[in-house]
Amino acid sequence: MSLFKKIYHWIDVRIGSTEIVEKELTGYLLPKNINEWYSLGSVLLVIFALQVVTGMLLLVYYVPDADKAFKSVTYIMNEVPFGWLIRLCHAVGSNLMVFVLMLHMLSTLLMGSYKSPREMNWISGFVLFSLVQGISLTGYLAPWSQLSFWATTVATNSVTAVPLIGTGLVKFLRGGTLVGPATLGRFFALHVAIIPAVIAALIGAHLFFLKRTGVSTPPFGAKETQNNWEGKSYRYEFHPGGIPFFPNYALQDATSVSIYLAIFFALIFFAPTLFFTPDSFVPANPFKTPAHIKPEWYFLANYQTLKIFPSELIGLLVQVAAMTVLALLPFIDRTKERHPLKRPIFLTCAIGGILLWLGLTIWGHYS
Amino acid sequence: METQSRRKFLGSCLVGTAIAAVAAALYPLYRYLAPSQSGTGTAKVTFAATEVPEGEAKFFEYAGSTGVVVRTKGGLIALSAVCTHLGCIVQWEKDKQDFLCPCHAGRYTPEGTVISGPPPRPLPKLPLTQAEGKIIIG
Repeated sequence: MSLFKKIYHWIDVRIGSTEIVEKELTGYLLPKNINEWYSLGSVLLVIFALQVVTGMLLLVYYVPDADKAFKSVTYIMNEVPFGWLIRLCHAVGSNLMVFVLMLHMLSTLLMGSYKSPREMNWISGFVLFSLVQGISLTGYLAPWSQLSFWATTVATNSVTAVPLIGTGLVKFLRGGTLVGPATLGRFFALHVAIIPAVIAALIGAHLFFLKRTGVSTPPFGAKETQNNWEGKSYRYEFHPGGIPFFPNYALQDATSVSIYLAIFFALIFFAPTLFFTPDSFVPANPFKTPAHIKPEWYFLANYQTLKIFPSELIGLLVQVAAMTVLALLPFIDRTKERHPLKRPIFLTCAIGGILLWLGLTIWGHYS
Repeated sequence: METQSRRKFLGSCLVGTAIAAVAAALYPLYRYLAPSQSGTGTAKVTFAATEVPEGEAKFFEYAGSTGVVVRTKGGLIALSAVCTHLGCIVQWEKDKQDFLCPCHAGRYTPEGTVISGPPPRPLPKLPLTQAEGKIIIG
């Protein structure tokens, strides 16, 4: 018996690991027609883990003080060995996390996986998406550059459109009338402690819901594409005769993670400034607003929506309405059919929504 | 047999790639966390001789650590101020003309010799020269 097998046996007789492996890995059967899109959840788990690790490493040298933050980031980028790599991993990773999360939601949307009994999976995922945007926004201020300072000013200023309490809310959010050292303090606390803890808890809840309901069957390549859950009693969706999670689908997960890492490192090594504008290399100056300050790409559609309406309040209400419809989609769309090609109204709305979002983003970028 | 050797070969390639990937990740991580080399060199420290009157001591940063120079009736002595017991910084007791480590009450003479307490070794001496009214350490 090899040393590895001896160690495994030693653990197995104590905690019954073979039973766990059979139940959760080799005996955990997935739909026969499962596709690559289902591996995006695993990719997101890897991205989140990488963000946590690189974030912890940045904390070794980063100083969350308005007078020292920019200097400490410059020090990380220029002086600390491989500091540039850690920082770029964190900055590029945050952008890709939002992008992959959008793809994950899009695949769930098109395959109708949000439909009952998976409403809680969808809602927890939607809240996770909002929190990821929140953690990106709060982290954006951390380098205390001209870009981070003024992008935060613009982003937080949109809250003033809220009737009656808008001005007070912005002041509370910023810790003062304008973005300043107090904003950095509270955004830093949100970025490194509060939001990550909530995200971790929600990931746990999201996986718990997945575990309890079972993996949904993709509508592609299946004869039955209708959602046949009656809603009368709890039912775990088994996939008899399906493919085992390990090693079959774990290999797909590993492939998707490898493709992601290839793109991730290609961006870091060959396009390191893709997510940085020249203003991100200049320390914040509260007395000098740079020209054409824009938020991050994933907020450009929101930014442009606020601009095209004559009143900021209408712009904000339109966004709140769109987000509410998206969040409550499983309760609005109660149809049984899950195949996108058999849902022409849904597909038209979905493609229209995506094109609208893309159009607003491009418009926001060039406006 | 052929299938087995192919499987073994592919397995070895996979393990090799995994080891290379882990090493590629660990090396930058080690370099990132390794202490900076700046401030740990042996650059000389210079100050005016008048800054250390007789019976008094002056503490300074030296080679990434703390040193002390003391002027006794016998002359100037430069020592490491790091206690040889557990690394606390010793304090100069002007009235008793000795060094006291406040952590565990180790005592040293102005020359760094252990008088009492737990320190296992004397305080290491630092190179000291005097020229044109200046004290040069290092």
